[in-house]
Amino acid sequence: MSVARRTTAGASGRRLLLITALAVAVGIGWSALAALGPSAIYYLTPTEAKAKQIAPGTTARLGGQVEVGTLRYDETTRDLRFILADGVTRTLVIGRGAPPALLREGAGAVVEGVFATDGSFRASSVIAKHDEVYAPPSPSQTPPHRTP
Amino acid sequence: MSWGDVGAGALRAAFPLALWGVVAATQAAWRRDGRFLASARMTAIATLALVTVASLAMVGALVSHDFSLHYVAENNARETPTYFSAISLWAALEGSILLWTTILAGAVVYVAWRGTRELPRLATTALALLFAMLSFFLLLVVTPAADPFVRLDAVPLNGRGPNPLLQDHWLMGLHPPLLYLGYVLFSIPFAYAMASLILGEGGDRWMVATRRSALVAWALLGIGIVAGGWWSYNVLGWGGYWAWDPVENAAIMPWLAATAYLHSVMVEEKRRMLRTWNLALVIGTFALTILGTFLTRSGVVNSVHSFSQSAIGPLLLGYLAAVLALSVGLLLWRSARLADSGPVAPISREAVFLFQNVLFVAVTLTVLLGTLYPLAVEALSGDQVSIGSPYFDRVAVPLGLALLFLMGVGPQLPWHGASRATLERQFAAPVVTSGALALVALVVGVRGTAAVLAFALAGFVCATVAQELARGIRARGTLHGESATTAFANLFKRSGRRYGGYVVHVGVAVIALAIAMSQAQAVQAEATLGPGGTMEVAGRTVVFEGLRDVVEPRRTQVVADLRVIDGGGSAPLVAALSYYPNATGAIGSPGIRSSATEDVYAILAAYDGRSRAWATIQIRIIPLVSWLWIGGAIVGIGALIAALPAARARERLVAATVPAGAGAE
Repeated sequence: MSVARRTTAGASGRRLLLITALAVAVGIGWSALAALGPSAIYYLTPTEAKAKQIAPGTTARLGGQVEVGTLRYDETTRDLRFILADGVTRTLVIGRGAPPALLREGAGAVVEGVFATDGSFRASSVIAKHDEVYAPPSPSQTPPHRTP
Repeated sequence: MSWGDVGAGALRAAFPLALWGVVAATQAAWRRDGRFLASARMTAIATLALVTVASLAMVGALVSHDFSLHYVAENNARETPTYFSAISLWAALEGSILLWTTILAGAVVYVAWRGTRELPRLATTALALLFAMLSFFLLLVVTPAADPFVRLDAVPLNGRGPNPLLQDHWLMGLHPPLLYLGYVLFSIPFAYAMASLILGEGGDRWMVATRRSALVAWALLGIGIVAGGWWSYNVLGWGGYWAWDPVENAAIMPWLAATAYLHSVMVEEKRRMLRTWNLALVIGTFALTILGTFLTRSGVVNSVHSFSQSAIGPLLLGYLAAVLALSVGLLLWRSARLADSGPVAPISREAVFLFQNVLFVAVTLTVLLGTLYPLAVEALSGDQVSIGSPYFDRVAVPLGLALLFLMGVGPQLPWHGASRATLERQFAAPVVTSGALALVALVVGVRGTAAVLAFALAGFVCATVAQELARGIRARGTLHGESATTAFANLFKRSGRRYGGYVVHVGVAVIALAIAMSQAQAVQAEATLGPGGTMEVAGRTVVFEGLRDVVEPRRTQVVADLRVIDGGGSAPLVAALSYYPNATGAIGSPGIRSSATEDVYAILAAYDGRSRAWATIQIRIIPLVSWLWIGGAIVGIGALIAALPAARARERLVAATVPAGAGAE
């Protein structure tokens, strides 16, 4: 380790390094901010979704009640259909795969997916909504029962 | 006298004691008066004894199902087994704050008895600050904000029972206390840093004195996070272990900031640089532990509106604001004494540490942004928004890979700068190993850029560590005539911090590989089957043998008996759904068959509720996922080696004579 190299790598090296570090930080920050908007998933009731006119293809999360008498699951085609309602608006939800074991008619459900052009909602995940009393009680709890 | 009387009495006695502790420690530091220090020490012991009694009283009340206490009635039932009764101490807010207070009282005793012996003035000032923090938490548990010993006028015959998720797996006994230990022990480096600023010390004594507590806090928090992932994998039943959930983010953020801190500390020790930066990191880490508690404990994560429903939210937020205002104020006030200088060569260990720090802080801020954004949107517009994992993955995956690369590079570069010859000597073998592993990964069928890169970089890191070990062993053999095994043991004994650090790096490489493979290469299949029906997944046959109902006092289960048949034979596997009387939903108990190469993960997704004639079974084949937990254990072992006091007698001789790049710790 020669003294000569230390001095040549001195102040200018430090500045170069700081500028690079700053550029990296700004780049990461910019890309994070840019990703934030598109990754935001709105949590809406069917009525709010209608009012907001969510564009087909935009990921959204709908919360409501599974209307009694509408839950259908076909074991062979694995086609899942039910009406999600909030008392005002009724939305047809179409999913694939078995409904989560705790999804019941008349109980709350949260579905994530996109609206199709015909106004129905294509769910990529269906989550049965839990009793509100059981809010996350531990520092690392994730919402239970994801059904991808 | 009931458990409630004992606990409530103990806490109410501890609160004024902690306040006296603030006064006594301040007087001891200010007047350098030994009598006040002696008083502060006795106060610390007495406070710890009292809050321990309170915690044990709560455990006693839970185990004996004393439903005259509100907390017990809400979080316990007669049917709850003793183990889950005892660990319900941290099942809800009040008990968690009580546990936090107990750990903090332990930290106070440690500093009062151990710290003040080494650095009387600095540690005593820090002690005053720690007593002040303890007073704040005692204030929470003696006021309605988080009083665990609130009584019920009408004693119910039975309680509601703990949250089903908390009584479904033994890991709940491990994961939360580890997180809390990690969170709370960061108070020690923070208190020392603030004490150093208050006293106007320009140096790094605070940092050296708290190196071990910072490391232990970091390790416990890290292991707690991995244990949380393991719990989530075993209980939540969706085959994953991490979802960028706000409560998970609350734990990972201080850990990320602390990881940056543990590394930049070395730059200050070796090069006397980054003083302000290190103080900022320790403040940031500590503030993030409070933010994490605020996010998880105030209910703000579920809805901004639940914030004002209890006193705990505003109190914790006020505490966070006070901590930030005081610490940043102190930092600005003393900034003139913190100037540092010195050249930084672009290719040197300090430069790598600088970049590592920039990346870690960037990841921390990205996670913070994604965690707070929904709160800001809800507060401003009333809309409920969540940020999905694509946002977090987009930043965390590339930065994680970049950090993995730096983790291999950093320890191989000498301080001050490296010559071309050094670079060739240090990196030839690791780069070849890395390329070879990437090829092997491609040949065995690993696909996806991130997964192949993870293989290459994990191999790179492990190769650098193996090279360092081989050189260290050879050097000891030449210098001291030791055999390879003796030399190996002595490296860890005498330079525990450095070689323990390498072990941690290997653990992190293993974890990175496990994450990459389990995320990228998992295979999934789902089928609805009648008894005797079979499904094929990745070369295995899964037979559904039938459903049965299991009735236990505290729950009922619907159990699907499965049999997995592969080349090696057949083995039973059981996936179940558990119903608890106090919950509307079911808790999934996935069937998991782990091996070194992959896990078979079976989920009972749906079943015929009337006649038990069919069940929908999901099977996931998740490669290498068990290495995630093993990696966590390796990190813990490495941190333990690094934290143990080193036998330093002959270390200098070795360090001065081994080849460049291996010489500096």
